[in-house]
Amino acid sequence: MLQKSSLLAPFLILCTSLPIWADTSSATTLEGEFKVGPAILLIVILISFVMIGLFNRAKDTSTYWAAGRKISPVGAGMAIASNWMSAASFLGMAAIMYASGYHGLSYVVGWTGGYVLLLILMAGQIRRYGKYTAADFIGDRYYSKGLRGYGASLAIFISFSYCVGQFAGIGIMFKWVMGIDYTWAVIIGASVVLAYTLISGMLGVTKNMQVQYVIIIISFIIPLFILTYKFGYFWLIPQVGYGQVVTDAVNGLAPAKGISALGHDFATLPVPEFAMPWDPATGQTAFQWIAICFSLMIGTAGLPHVIQRFYVVPKARDARWSVVWGLFFICLLYWSAPVYSVFGKVLSSNPEVGALAKDAIVVYTAQLGAVFPLIVGLLAAGAISAAFSTVSGLLVAGASAFSHDLYYRTINPNATERTQMLMARIGTIIMAASVAIVALLKLGLIAQLVAIAFSLAGCTIFPLFLLGIWWGGSNRKGAWAGLLVGSAVALIALVYFIVGKYGGQLPWQEQINYYLNAWYFAWLGAPLAIIANIAVSLFSKSKTPDEIQIFLAEKVHNA
Amino acid sequence: MENTAKVKVNFFRPVTEHARKNMKLIIILALIWAIAVFGFQVLLMVFNKPVPEDNYLKFEQLWPGFVDSETRDLILKQELAQVSLAVLGKNVALEEEHKSVLKLAVSKLVLDILPAEQKNAFGQDPLAYLSENDLRPLLGLENGGFDKILYDLLPTSLIPVENAEFTAEMEEKIPSIMQLYLVHNRSFLTDTTFIGFPFHYWYTAQFLLILFVVLCIIYARSTDKLHKKHKIEE
Repeated sequence: MLQKSSLLAPFLILCTSLPIWADTSSATTLEGEFKVGPAILLIVILISFVMIGLFNRAKDTSTYWAAGRKISPVGAGMAIASNWMSAASFLGMAAIMYASGYHGLSYVVGWTGGYVLLLILMAGQIRRYGKYTAADFIGDRYYSKGLRGYGASLAIFISFSYCVGQFAGIGIMFKWVMGIDYTWAVIIGASVVLAYTLISGMLGVTKNMQVQYVIIIISFIIPLFILTYKFGYFWLIPQVGYGQVVTDAVNGLAPAKGISALGHDFATLPVPEFAMPWDPATGQTAFQWIAICFSLMIGTAGLPHVIQRFYVVPKARDARWSVVWGLFFICLLYWSAPVYSVFGKVLSSNPEVGALAKDAIVVYTAQLGAVFPLIVGLLAAGAISAAFSTVSGLLVAGASAFSHDLYYRTINPNATERTQMLMARIGTIIMAASVAIVALLKLGLIAQLVAIAFSLAGCTIFPLFLLGIWWGGSNRKGAWAGLLVGSAVALIALVYFIVGKYGGQLPWQEQINYYLNAWYFAWLGAPLAIIANIAVSLFSKSKTPDEIQIFLAEKVHNA
Repeated sequence: MENTAKVKVNFFRPVTEHARKNMKLIIILALIWAIAVFGFQVLLMVFNKPVPEDNYLKFEQLWPGFVDSETRDLILKQELAQVSLAVLGKNVALEEEHKSVLKLAVSKLVLDILPAEQKNAFGQDPLAYLSENDLRPLLGLENGGFDKILYDLLPTSLIPVENAEFTAEMEEKIPSIMQLYLVHNRSFLTDTTFIGFPFHYWYTAQFLLILFVVLCIIYARSTDKLHKKHKIEE
């Protein structure tokens, strides 16, 4: 299907580009109109995703969850990257850098640096432990049904909050392509991604993910060559060439180096606030930079759907190398994202452009830079593709936590394969519908919404894995203590966030909103959870059972 | 098996040679990782100083003279209009409230500078006035370079005004607005350029990511070797 769509491309260009090309000269085309070329591209890509899914239907629950464990490290790396590179990477990072300059780089660093932790501390060990889900591991390692249930609920909640940002991204892009209302865009987008996840299950998802990765990265990078070429920067490697654009933004650029699609000069007054660290104009501080970066890093190493990726590779060695490849594939996009933010900054420096939706700045930048409309369409399709690949993985993680960990392991151990499959599907539907509803509330920028999921994972699941793998002494009571402390910090942060969002005022509202902000509360929550886990484990009389100690030492650590 | 104390896993108390080497590897890599990421932020904190843009220096010089209506002359008005426009040129970064204060200031300054007979027409519909008149000479702007950008900002900056007097509220707010947008944290780390980038930007946006990939490759390769050496089956 992919080949078919690439064969179709020249035909589509001929059919659709002329009227759209003419349209770009007017300001109104930035949004609000139905865009034929991009819409067709999007439909072709979505249909091909569903077809690939259809040809790889999940046959039973174990294929649904773990894709039969037969994928190479490079393939698994692509799947990790595609699963990872969501609307937050594709749209959200450029948006937050566009809005708050250097502060936004904390997301770039946080979302890549976490993989180092994940690799050196966990990936191989998780694979060797050999469970299906994060909750499985927690329940088994801490020999507790209650913890399994709690872990599963957390996994669902984390996947849920991660999905909210994705659905927001899908909504924004459907809105852009179809010129429809945001609400309808979210509803349509959610329905498509749901249908696709239900049909394909995880084997389809994994194969799709490799195709999706290729589409995501190509669609993201092509416009950068065009932008750097068009405005006279070093274009052979746009990821290097844009450095001069950053410097031009800092020092100011005049005379102009070109003209935007709206007829404005590609020129700018000095805007050092774009690049200087923690600029007062952005309202962000050094503490916030570090707190976000740290929270995102440990969150990466605690996200159930990321951890779950390691179960689909055959060996621990493959798990390690799949992280290396995954990180490399991810970095290809992360090296490129700031290019959009700085070009967007210059191209929208004329206030006549108006206030642009920050989360769509990637697409607006390509439009303002007069990139060929069909390529802008491909970019939008890539964004949707990025959101789709992540959402399907998340829905699978959430649904499997629901059916496998909550229903089968905790509620009804006698459930048949058929009933489990049914529960997985029901779980997927309920989750997709409720995520769509929350996405309609527009609680924050995509990157920020997604950061909530990271902080949640960072102060609940990360400590359990870290101590569970590396310290046999961590026992059930310690795990409960750590988990409760982490959850309490998360609860406080989220309650204050929501109350603040709706204009309420609680005691120390300002301090808590600053030090325990919803985007980065894990900087405190995680260390506290780890300390609580260690302290209670040391002082409680119960010990980790011998068979778990032995299993850890022999199977997980080869002692 | 009988003696459970022997098989207790503790990262900091490795019992086998393989575990010891693994611990060493992890600690070294984690240290490099942490120092590279957070150590650099500490460096920035240590060396960064608030550095004003040229426009802020200009503003600091002209503002006392401008506030005192006795010394307020054409040049001061032109320069304040230019500085205000330069801040308005930061567009995306500006808060709406600050934007409106600056727009009011620019519009009042233009009204002030205009000849008496044209004040009325401008005050009522500044955009119509702008489309028919060239305000460059009045504002002391050239037709090129940054002056051109400043002039291009006028259509979105001018609003109808009744008089040219700055209110007490404006006089109170303007200095803090200028300080907020025109002073930045800078040091040799931000002012050195490297392959076109401000160094700190390159380091954060590119080098750290390269380092992460390299650290991962080192770990994966060393672990492969370590496992081979200790004949660990996977």
